[in-house]
Amino acid sequence: MPELTVQPLFELHGVSRVYGNGAREVRAVDAIDMQIDPGEFLVVAGPSGSGKTTLLQLLGALDRPTEGEILFEGRDLAALPDGELTQLRLETIGFVFQQFNLIPTLTARQNVEVALAPQGLPGSEREHRASELLDAVGLGPRGAHLPSELSGGEQQRVAIARALANRPRVLLADEPTGNLDSATGDEIIRLLRSISDQQGQAVVLITHDASIAARAGRVVRMQDGRLLLPAPVADLTEATPL
Amino acid sequence: MTHVQVFYLSYMFSELRRRRGRTILTALGLAVGVALVVTVNALSKGLDNAQAEVLKPLTGVGTDLSVSRPLQLSTSSGGPFGNLSPQERARLRSENGGARVGLENLGTPGSHFSRDTFASASQLTFASTRVKSIASFAGVKSAAGGLTLAAVHLEGTVPQQTQQRQFGPPGGGQGGPRNIDVQAITVSGVDQTHPGLGAVTSGQLARGRYFSRTTKREAILNISYAQRKGIKLGTTITLGGKKFTVIGFAKTPLGGQASDVYVKLRQLQALSGRAGRINTVYVRATSSDQVASVTAAIKSSFDGASVTTATDLANRVSGSLVDAKNLTGKLGTALEIVGLLGAFLIASLLTLSSVTKRVRELGTLKALGWRQSLVVRQVTGESLIQGLIGGIAGVALGLGAAALIGAFAPTLKATVAQAATQTAGAGPGPGGFAAFGQGTVQAGSTAVSLGAPVGLGLILLAVALALAGGLLSGAVGGLRAARLRPAEALRHID
Repeated sequence: MPELTVQPLFELHGVSRVYGNGAREVRAVDAIDMQIDPGEFLVVAGPSGSGKTTLLQLLGALDRPTEGEILFEGRDLAALPDGELTQLRLETIGFVFQQFNLIPTLTARQNVEVALAPQGLPGSEREHRASELLDAVGLGPRGAHLPSELSGGEQQRVAIARALANRPRVLLADEPTGNLDSATGDEIIRLLRSISDQQGQAVVLITHDASIAARAGRVVRMQDGRLLLPAPVADLTEATPL
Repeated sequence: MTHVQVFYLSYMFSELRRRRGRTILTALGLAVGVALVVTVNALSKGLDNAQAEVLKPLTGVGTDLSVSRPLQLSTSSGGPFGNLSPQERARLRSENGGARVGLENLGTPGSHFSRDTFASASQLTFASTRVKSIASFAGVKSAAGGLTLAAVHLEGTVPQQTQQRQFGPPGGGQGGPRNIDVQAITVSGVDQTHPGLGAVTSGQLARGRYFSRTTKREAILNISYAQRKGIKLGTTITLGGKKFTVIGFAKTPLGGQASDVYVKLRQLQALSGRAGRINTVYVRATSSDQVASVTAAIKSSFDGASVTTATDLANRVSGSLVDAKNLTGKLGTALEIVGLLGAFLIASLLTLSSVTKRVRELGTLKALGWRQSLVVRQVTGESLIQGLIGGIAGVALGLGAAALIGAFAPTLKATVAQAATQTAGAGPGPGGFAAFGQGTVQAGSTAVSLGAPVGLGLILLAVALALAGGLLSGAVGGLRAARLRPAEALRHID
């Protein structure tokens, strides 16, 4: 398929997110132009405070840019009302967080169901789908456990299963290995990578861990809210610490 | 309920379980507020009941108004009875003149005599057709006529004397000869076709039965009069030369309009020479809010009428019962309001702080695609459940408190003042002469024990209030949750 005919998943044109004003103005994301393709595994690397999380929230329709436009599959996110952004998040975007953000009172399977419930699936179907998703991340037998009974790596797997619940077109992962030891973090990255490869989901992963960046299809680096020029993966690997 | 709603519900319950301390605290706050409402209302109901118990005999069972026509002495020209028509003056003379006794007319000196005379000094009689006209007023449910008279019983030996002496009820200052026994009792004629309305009602009977509908001569005696005189049920008494079988004893109610003897109206009318005449109309209104308009209608259509309502009588009750009632009325209401507001405030603040603690969780839900309304519903639903728990606990607490009140059953005193209007113009001196006319309102004190009944309506009100508290706090929390911007919520560090 010729590359030109593929519609990009995201197109960012001069996107800025500014907090405060006047002398206190902070440009968390500053005039970013970029494109993310369907099925792509993109790593956004950069030190803390460089604006990675803000960029991810803009992509995930959790926040609106103060300047510029974000096109998701050709639709301008800034033009969509809150209700449609919510629907977009439900149907097309999956989030994975550094702190896992599981609901502590619900079991692993119920946590996956939290993402399925607003879709209005019947109970049995919802439970079946949740179990399927837990199987897919290797947690099938642990479905009845509360988050507090699971290890960090297991909790993040539950979060990934939850993010995949509605077959999104993109997974947005904010430091998904930040709270895990390196071996477990490695497993998580491998899991995300294989999901992306098998199911064709795009993954946008932000990290300050250079070893993770090494597994990416493409790496962009951020500093002070701006994108640095795309660097070859090898250069990035050597340029530790970020 | 769909499966999806079951999921949301189980999520709510698991949240409440996790925040057990907070849930218990919120529910307990609401419960205390609600329990206050239950207790105060039950107490107030108990006091109402106690007051009703005291007032019931005051008004007769179900009598809302009694209409009489007190004799008003005029100070204007035309003498003390200047405000009466010539016919009325003549009637007054004939009705009360009968009590004048010429001793020499009773028989030859030394012979025995027994005589009853009837007087209605302070109450003018009127035609019994007045009952019908009052019964036809709008707002009147039923009306019954009554005739209450002072009977003076004279018995003894005709004295040996030449000087003519007279005595009678109003002017008997110098007293009668020693060999003549004078007894004054009050007698009421009761329309037995209205057993619930009249000087004595079937509900007032302590023993025996109410009048039959036949023309048999039957009498109901005031129980304390009967005890004083040693009269037993089934025996007979003599009144106006006729024998009456004693068929029942009526309680002496506090504040009640007590006569000593009750007989059928027609028989008393015949005995006393007052056929077709009555001096009281007992009226029952269709509802309590009709009392004022009925009173006004009677007063405007019936010249010189005096209308006594149950409220007039209630106003004469004092004592610890009334103090307690005033206290519950004022302090109780204040306590309820403060308690409820406090409970609502606590519930709202706790919910608000709970939402603040869950900012990241709620932000996560929004990120996962939960609609605004769904997030708000989740928070509000949890509060509502807390409200329900609080309501149930509050009702339980309130029932416990009410049961405690019932178990201790504190005794309250009710004091009824002498009714000035009833005795004005009545005869002089001690004894029965004060009871001329309509019979006296018994002054004195009575003790009633207090209960605190809790009805279904009160329970429902309590639960509804707790739910309202839950809803209010849920709305406060829900609003806070709705205002969360997901991006900021997710940045929130727990």
